[in-house]
Amino acid sequence: MAILNKILLKIVTAVVSIFGSLVLVFCIIYLLPGDPVLSMLDPSVATPEMVANLHKELGLDQPFYLQFLHYFMSVLHGDFGQSLVNRDLVLPKILEHFPATLALTLASALVSIIIGVFFGVLSAIYRNKWIDFIARLIGLFGISMPTFWSGILLILIFSVFLNWFPAMGSDGWKTIVLPSLSLGFVGAGLIIRMVRTSMLEVINESFIVTLRAKGLSERAVMYRHALRNALIPAITIIGLNIGELMAGTVVIETVFSRQGIGRIVADAIMAKDLPVIQGVVFFSAIVFVVINLLVDLSYSIIDPRVRRAN
Amino acid sequence: MKLVNQTKLVAILLVFLLLVSGCASSSSTKNSSSQETNKEDASKPKSGGELTYALATSPDSLDPARSGLAVAVRAFRTIFDSLVVQAPDNTIKPWLATAWTVSNDGKSYTFKLRNDVRFQDGTPFNAAAVKYSFDRILDPKTQAKNAVALLKPYQSSEVIDDYTIKINLATPSASFLSNLSQAMLGIVSPTAAEKYGDQFSKNPVGTGPYKFVSWSENADIVVQKNKDYHWGPANVENKGAPYLDKITFKIIPEEATRIGSVQSGQVLAAETVPPQNIAALKNDSKTQLLKVNTIGLPYTLFFNQRKGPWNDVKVRQAVQLAVDVDSIVKTLYLGTYERAWSPISPGILGYDKSLEGETKANIKKANQILDELGYKKGSDGIRVKDGKPFTLKYVDGSPNREKRNDIAVIVQQQLKKIGIKVEINITQDVATVIYKNADYDLYGNSQVNSDPNALSAIYHTRTDAEEAVFKGLTGGSDPELDQWLEQGTIELDPAKREDIYKKVQQKIIKDAWIIPVYVFPYTVAASKEVKGITFDSLGYPLFNDVNIER
Repeated sequence: MAILNKILLKIVTAVVSIFGSLVLVFCIIYLLPGDPVLSMLDPSVATPEMVANLHKELGLDQPFYLQFLHYFMSVLHGDFGQSLVNRDLVLPKILEHFPATLALTLASALVSIIIGVFFGVLSAIYRNKWIDFIARLIGLFGISMPTFWSGILLILIFSVFLNWFPAMGSDGWKTIVLPSLSLGFVGAGLIIRMVRTSMLEVINESFIVTLRAKGLSERAVMYRHALRNALIPAITIIGLNIGELMAGTVVIETVFSRQGIGRIVADAIMAKDLPVIQGVVFFSAIVFVVINLLVDLSYSIIDPRVRRAN
Repeated sequence: MKLVNQTKLVAILLVFLLLVSGCASSSSTKNSSSQETNKEDASKPKSGGELTYALATSPDSLDPARSGLAVAVRAFRTIFDSLVVQAPDNTIKPWLATAWTVSNDGKSYTFKLRNDVRFQDGTPFNAAAVKYSFDRILDPKTQAKNAVALLKPYQSSEVIDDYTIKINLATPSASFLSNLSQAMLGIVSPTAAEKYGDQFSKNPVGTGPYKFVSWSENADIVVQKNKDYHWGPANVENKGAPYLDKITFKIIPEEATRIGSVQSGQVLAAETVPPQNIAALKNDSKTQLLKVNTIGLPYTLFFNQRKGPWNDVKVRQAVQLAVDVDSIVKTLYLGTYERAWSPISPGILGYDKSLEGETKANIKKANQILDELGYKKGSDGIRVKDGKPFTLKYVDGSPNREKRNDIAVIVQQQLKKIGIKVEINITQDVATVIYKNADYDLYGNSQVNSDPNALSAIYHTRTDAEEAVFKGLTGGSDPELDQWLEQGTIELDPAKREDIYKKVQQKIIKDAWIIPVYVFPYTVAASKEVKGITFDSLGYPLFNDVNIER
């Protein structure tokens, strides 16, 4: 029962966070300087009537609280509004493009976990040896390199010179390789550091000494016991990192000309397409909250201590 | 110190260029036969194949009436035809209309239409379709964009018979036929426009050489060959159905990716080649570079004459003398863009060639003018008058299109030499800053247009009602200029029009209303297999003659 209560509490918190983000997103968009109607009309032909009509049509002539109430009720009914640029319904548009972004996010997460855990463990085992330095250097690179730069570098090497992978597009698995490498590398940098630190902490704990004294092979000690314990903090990082990755898709999808909600929001910002910006940001907030909820819940599966604590 | 700063800037730019060109040229071989034009060989063009053509930005709409972007025209020009076509020498030739007459008062045009044309959905093309297309632009429900301005001073159409239409204008207009040749006034299928309503932009149907297949947002737009096509315009060789089976316009905003996609063979052609790649691509044995200057209003810096001291012609002239446009264009575009000298670009009717070479940078004279006006240099080198430092608010838009933000930085450096402090404001919200609040001293813009009448919208005095909706770019007013611009709008004799617009150009430059900067060249990098890409008089690509040789 206790665990059910805990899950329920987490879900309630998640719903409150989502509502909070809705309010925040709406306020930010409302406070943005500039009238969206002005950027929709052509300066050489617009008349005052056209401006007024469009204001009315979009409900922009109503007071703030009414606008918010209207938006909130629509969102409850699954209506995120219409694009100002081409009249598309926002939610179906997001749902259509989200799978591509999700695939990229997950592929990038996979890349960062594989690279991160691999080098993190090596780094801890061979502490202060040359392998450790190389692994840490890779981590440093990952964190410091901007994705738009590493992305272009990857295109130059793997598309233009080697012709192994396509430079752009979103059809087929080949197109996801370069973008997920570029994006995943950032997360990898963080994970290398995290895994290394927590591995080093665990290695020095007394239960490891006991295991070694019992005559377990070094490999078993490291991978079955030390790594498992070291992964718990790493998982938190990965969960939070998903948010970073989703934000990163805004840049990466543009660089690699992929479809996805990152690209949609980038275009919407350029076009001042407020309903679309609002919709994508709010939708991303929901995804982020849900993923972190799942991460929270997954602790109890990975770490028995969390379960027992209940 | 000033010198050091500028040397540093140039040095950084040079190092960057070396890096870029070093990276790029390592892939090219020593084949120096650069190709600037792309005329077909004597060999017969092959039919079939698919052209992939990378666009730099997403089109806003494929409905000619509702689009406001040049990139959209590049895609929907393949789908829609116009009544007339403008030949490279600016004469108007028949297209969907075979002949026309103009009434004596210049206020009505009677067009004879082709009787053998069908829309891609099977709807017959006739006078009713033309009337529908134009009336639709005026209908507020359509929410038409640039088409509204192009159609002015259109009032109504009368269907005389199936293939004769009379178009009535509110006032005579010398630019009307030229405007009719633009893709944004292309003729739409009335059946499809009625059926799809505001979704017509995603289901466009016209009479063009290609018919629409699909548009997946941020990915691609696909059009396929219109087999029945046999009414090609005068500016293409192949009047029949196109050779290509299909064109896929891929949308690739990042320039390095776009060019990389051509080099890696993922697409066959890509538009808007960054200057630093042009030299390398010209020397690449597998690619060709096509270049055409767009016409209309070149990229121009406008003074906001609503605010002092910019209402004083002398102050504007001082700035005009201090800005070294030659060095800006050479530094940023490496000889790939041409410098602009006039408020209109070369190639447009009435362009005044005598203005070329007239404006030369002269810091000494600029300083002298400002000294005479009582602006005293302070200890920090910035001029002061009446206790106020001399500043200039330079506004530019984001994203950094065609390195325009970099122009702002160089102008800042250059004006420092005459003691003007330039404050740069790069904004995403040009609509508010410029057109609503007019909160700028200098702002740059450009426009693609086929007729010098485009000057009227910018340089004619604006009424209070007009200013209430959107502020004009200059804020200036000159009765003489107004009179000439009004004459130019209605004068039907081309020779007289040329004289009028020459006077207009000279006056605008002499009174330093603007600083013209560059003429934008539309560039395409294409694989050598692609033959027959040509351009219309506005610089938009045409795909009627394109064929792929493998």
